[in-house]
Amino acid sequence: MRLSRRTYVGATTLLVLALLWYLATSGLGLVSAGRFPAPGDVEAAAVQAFGRGYPDATLVTHILHSLKLVAIGFAVSVALGVPLGLLMGWNRVAEALINPVFLVLRPIPPLAWIPLAILWLGLGDEAKVMVIFLAAFPPAVISTHAGVRAVPPPVVEAAQMLGTPRLRFVLEVLAPAAAPMIFTGLRLSLQASWTTLVAAELVGSLAGLGYVLNVAQQDLYPGMILVGMAAVGVLGAGSTALLGLAERRAVVWAQGATE
Amino acid sequence: MSCIRFEQVDKTFGGAVKALDGVDLTVADREFVAIVGASGCGKTTCLRLAAGFEAPTGGHVTVGGKAVTAPGPDRAVVFQQFALFPWKTVAQNIAFGLRNKGMPASERDARVAAAIGMIGLSAYADAYPHQLSGGMQQRVAIARAYVLEPEVLLMDEPFGALDAQTRVVMQEELVRLARKNPRTVLFITHGVEEAVYLADRVAVMTRRPGRIKEIVDVKVIREAERWEDHARIEDVMDLESFVHLRTHIWKSLREEKGGVGH
Repeated sequence: MRLSRRTYVGATTLLVLALLWYLATSGLGLVSAGRFPAPGDVEAAAVQAFGRGYPDATLVTHILHSLKLVAIGFAVSVALGVPLGLLMGWNRVAEALINPVFLVLRPIPPLAWIPLAILWLGLGDEAKVMVIFLAAFPPAVISTHAGVRAVPPPVVEAAQMLGTPRLRFVLEVLAPAAAPMIFTGLRLSLQASWTTLVAAELVGSLAGLGYVLNVAQQDLYPGMILVGMAAVGVLGAGSTALLGLAERRAVVWAQGATE
Repeated sequence: MSCIRFEQVDKTFGGAVKALDGVDLTVADREFVAIVGASGCGKTTCLRLAAGFEAPTGGHVTVGGKAVTAPGPDRAVVFQQFALFPWKTVAQNIAFGLRNKGMPASERDARVAAAIGMIGLSAYADAYPHQLSGGMQQRVAIARAYVLEPEVLLMDEPFGALDAQTRVVMQEELVRLARKNPRTVLFITHGVEEAVYLADRVAVMTRRPGRIKEIVDVKVIREAERWEDHARIEDVMDLESFVHLRTHIWKSLREEKGGVGH
């Protein structure tokens, strides 16, 4: 694969930033290590996190724990949200029944549900999955709904005149027609899942990346805070990239489409 | 027997805009009727009523003696903007209606292959619509309708979105198909020449609210003057009998427009 000019420029920018980071901390000592860690501190923290573990389990254990919560919350959101969005987009009655509920609940930030979630489900994983679900569910529903509403009427009419049975109509006409918008919704859901995960794990957790961040803050351990942040960033970017891959496979027909 | 019959059909949109006002028109079994009229005169509304996409406000629309209540594969529609399924290949688009009918795969594959051959796109069976030109896409849309072997074919300005050269090729192709395998066809267009070239009869519509102003019998003259001896559309269009009919319909339409523009 040939690397483009953009790739070189991007890599150069990152290298310069890394160099400035080094100079500002270890190199010239402009920023005290207690406020912002030097590259060496982060490396040491990473070695500790992956090796001995911090505070009581290795980073891989924490990552797996967080991944599990995000995977469950995201999967349930998609499994319920996409069908509900399809139903609302196609069925006026369903739309009229469900839309008001969304209008009332949507302005409530997902994190505001945390106290109620803890009250209902305790401090365990269930409450965190519930909060992730509450954050990830609306974008899945809303984008799918909007995607169905945006299907061109002639496509719907073509399906009708071809005598398409109801279920096949939903699966082979509505869903693929709305697929680009559905994937936009899934990307938003995934981002919301990761954002909410960290916040949910900051409260009453005994494992996970949010827990690592919380303990590192109490320990005044900036190197470890950066390791935790980097882990969340890498996982978020990685899962978004996987979703993009799935999208390209699913909507292969739109590749290079000009209209 | 599957004639299309409009009896005193009114259509009002939103209680205010009167699109059709007492339309009377019969398309006989295996007859090709074109409706010409200015944009917005309600000619597409006629087609949508016959297709079952809209319901009349007054009067009756029947196909084969039965009132039209919903869209269905007995009345295949070719849309102006093709309306193919972009996520299905050429073959899948054409096969879709046959799958809905529950036709066994082996028979279906044979019919689809024959239809793709008919429109000359055998090399593109597995291509997606966006990989095809506009003319090729419209051929797929026509094949998707023809493959159902519908009693009735409803065509809504099917060549309106095509460039002039492609349109001529498609018109000649449609004439060939229609003569070889006659169907009851309702064809909507604003092109007078296209209507005279393709149709057995041409119905002229008034400006909104649309009424049928005049019906011109082309078939009698076409057969008397032996248009079919001329393979190319431009040769037919040069014939005195063609020019005469075209001019007559032009004038009829132009009166409708109060002599302004064309």
